[in-house]
Amino acid sequence: MFGGLREKLKAARDRLGGSIEAAAAKAEPAEKAVPAGAVPATRPVPEPGPATATTAPASPSFVQKVRTLIIERELIVSEKDLDDALSELEMTLLESDVALPATDAIIGSVEKNLVGKHRKIGESVDDLVVHALKTALLDVLGSGFDLKEYIAKHDRPVKILFTGVNGTGKTTTVAKIGAYLKKEGFTVVIGAGDTYRAGAIEQIAVHAERIGIRVIQHQEGADPSAVLFDAVEYAKSHKIDVVLADTAGRFHNKANLMSQLEKIKRVMKPDLVVYVDEAVAGNDAVTRAFEFDKTIGADAVVLTKADMDSRGGAAISIAHTIGKPLMFLGVGQAYEDIMPFEPAKVVDELLDGGA
Amino acid sequence: MLDGLSTSLKDALKKLAGKTVVDRAAVDELVKDLQRALISSDVNVKLVMELSKAIRTRSLEEEPPKGMNVREHVLRIVYQELVRLVWASTEVRLEPQTILMAGLQGSGKTTTTAKLARYFQKKGMKVGVVCADTFRPGAFDQISTLCAKINVPCFGNAQEKDALKITREGLEALKEQELIIVDTQGRHALEADLIREIIDLNVLTKATHRWLVIDAALGQQASEQAKRFHEAIGIDGVIITKMDGTAKGGGAMSAVAETKSGIAFIGSGETIEDLERFDPDGFISRLLGMGDLKALVERANENLNPDDVDVNAMMKGKFTLRDMYKQLEALNKMGPLKQIMGMLPLGNMQLPEGVYDVTSTKMVRYRIIMDSMTPTELDEPSLINSSRMQRIAHGAGATPDEVRELLKYYKMMQRTLKGLKGSGGGKFNMQRLMKRFSGMQ
Repeated sequence: MFGGLREKLKAARDRLGGSIEAAAAKAEPAEKAVPAGAVPATRPVPEPGPATATTAPASPSFVQKVRTLIIERELIVSEKDLDDALSELEMTLLESDVALPATDAIIGSVEKNLVGKHRKIGESVDDLVVHALKTALLDVLGSGFDLKEYIAKHDRPVKILFTGVNGTGKTTTVAKIGAYLKKEGFTVVIGAGDTYRAGAIEQIAVHAERIGIRVIQHQEGADPSAVLFDAVEYAKSHKIDVVLADTAGRFHNKANLMSQLEKIKRVMKPDLVVYVDEAVAGNDAVTRAFEFDKTIGADAVVLTKADMDSRGGAAISIAHTIGKPLMFLGVGQAYEDIMPFEPAKVVDELLDGGA
Repeated sequence: MLDGLSTSLKDALKKLAGKTVVDRAAVDELVKDLQRALISSDVNVKLVMELSKAIRTRSLEEEPPKGMNVREHVLRIVYQELVRLVWASTEVRLEPQTILMAGLQGSGKTTTTAKLARYFQKKGMKVGVVCADTFRPGAFDQISTLCAKINVPCFGNAQEKDALKITREGLEALKEQELIIVDTQGRHALEADLIREIIDLNVLTKATHRWLVIDAALGQQASEQAKRFHEAIGIDGVIITKMDGTAKGGGAMSAVAETKSGIAFIGSGETIEDLERFDPDGFISRLLGMGDLKALVERANENLNPDDVDVNAMMKGKFTLRDMYKQLEALNKMGPLKQIMGMLPLGNMQLPEGVYDVTSTKMVRYRIIMDSMTPTELDEPSLINSSRMQRIAHGAGATPDEVRELLKYYKMMQRTLKGLKGSGGGKFNMQRLMKRFSGMQ
């Protein structure tokens, strides 16, 4: 994930850098006139160096010169200078599945950061652009969520409820997080709260057996609240650290299913509500994250299927919509294919990345 | 699907109303609105750019046909270009065949397999299912439970890890069946060994159809994934799932454009009956706000006796409690009200949200209350005064408030249907317009 976005952003960034340089170059001749006049006065002998610089303006030495000039001056970047580059950045974000509203917000923020301000620039143009993008992306992504630390600090058992629409990978995620926590030395119990989908209980039971975690389950069609309540009770009486509560996938526009989820929340009183969605989701990611957050609330987000060559736009869309931290990324089919999400690292990689 | 599009399209077209020459600025604005609407419906960005470029060029360069005003001219171009995207519908024949299901993880292949089995079974075919998903725990439990509910034989083996072996045995075991659906494990295009597996499965089964199942919420990845699947096994139909959420299905549409196939079916609900044939005519009419009467009729024919629900009487605005009673009964067979209303030609009329807010439990209550009304009351609901209300409530074991609520619901339905009737003769007559379009193509 993010590989494609990185390449595209790099291109857009070069473009942005380019248009600022162009803006600077327009202002440059006046400045240049001074040294041009001064140089011949002290050194009457014509040198071949400056001549090549003027005939080949694209050569690195010229660019270098412009950059040094910028360091000493104040630079005003106008909206017009950025128009083309920003619309390219916009396309890049859209093609990377960043939803339209989130894209608008990011573009707006980059623009605000670059346009109209008198800027004393002590850094390269590249840095300036990177900084604006970085601020915008970090703004959106916020800080990550350290589950280990949360559990360590919290009263046991820590009850975690997983929600999301159908087919995003809740059950698999529950198994993966179970395996992760077990490896980190916590004791875990899973509540098989998906009593609706045929085969769901068998699915979680097989996972749990493989990773060696106890599952509390009822029959298909049972009341999920009751199952999860039992799971919590089991954890209390057996001094277990974490309860992972799986639920059936449901659409946010089905009132009765959402109220069932509300009931589950009332009954099991989770410490954390984790919203699970897939990295490949498009604009709908925004709608459903918003609805889930509104009805049930969400404390953290897990993004699955991040190995599908997706550009990670959904991460940005969801974070922008509900402002909740991204906790894990699911990156494959094996139990260990889950990684904690560290926004600063991801953004650094995106923008500084040597790739 | 794409319902946001029809609203923004209408807004944009309004600006062209009354213009005598095609206004460059207005067209630019329309194209921009269209782009935003399509992109926020997850249609592939490159596709959107091509589409909008074509619309812009054609709107500005082509001479409006005689007798067509500027707005109709532009709308016609938009319509034609959109149609090109989704026009093909996959042909589904009722003859012996093998169908191979392919798709990403969690797109809904297994659920769709069961729905398809049900669909062909209802059409009178002998159907069998092979479960070639050897990876996901519980997959065989899931499909065999679903198949058992509809009495369709299902072959699989939760212990076996070789999908090819299972499929070979399954095809042999089910050779009595006319139509065999092979459900496979979820995979994505970057998993080389899994792509290899599905190529082998395709060779082994000599599948008549290879259908790609795509989640309506899938974003820009849809084109790329569809392309890779297409290269591997030659996709000849797309099934869009989870259309009952809020996703617009633009990604899936892009997948269709990429594979140059068509949309075979649309999945729009959690029960095994929730599968619709995709009909481009209906889709485009729904998109432009005409409603999909064809799908409604098809559904009604399958499930209802002719006198169960009289759409015509409803449309005429003669709508009594008795009709509502029938309707509530019919609803149980036809599916949620929202789906049915979605197929009616509502134009761009907004229905009060409350219309849909009646849960199935409430439906049952309403029917019990209506059971304790007299025939006259059912025909003339206006007769019901407070003393009658008391009596009805007593008879039904309900409170007068519930009876009042029922009447309120009835009035709302009645108003809605009256509104429908009115919208047919509006100044912007879609039906007439469509007729003109079909003549022009």
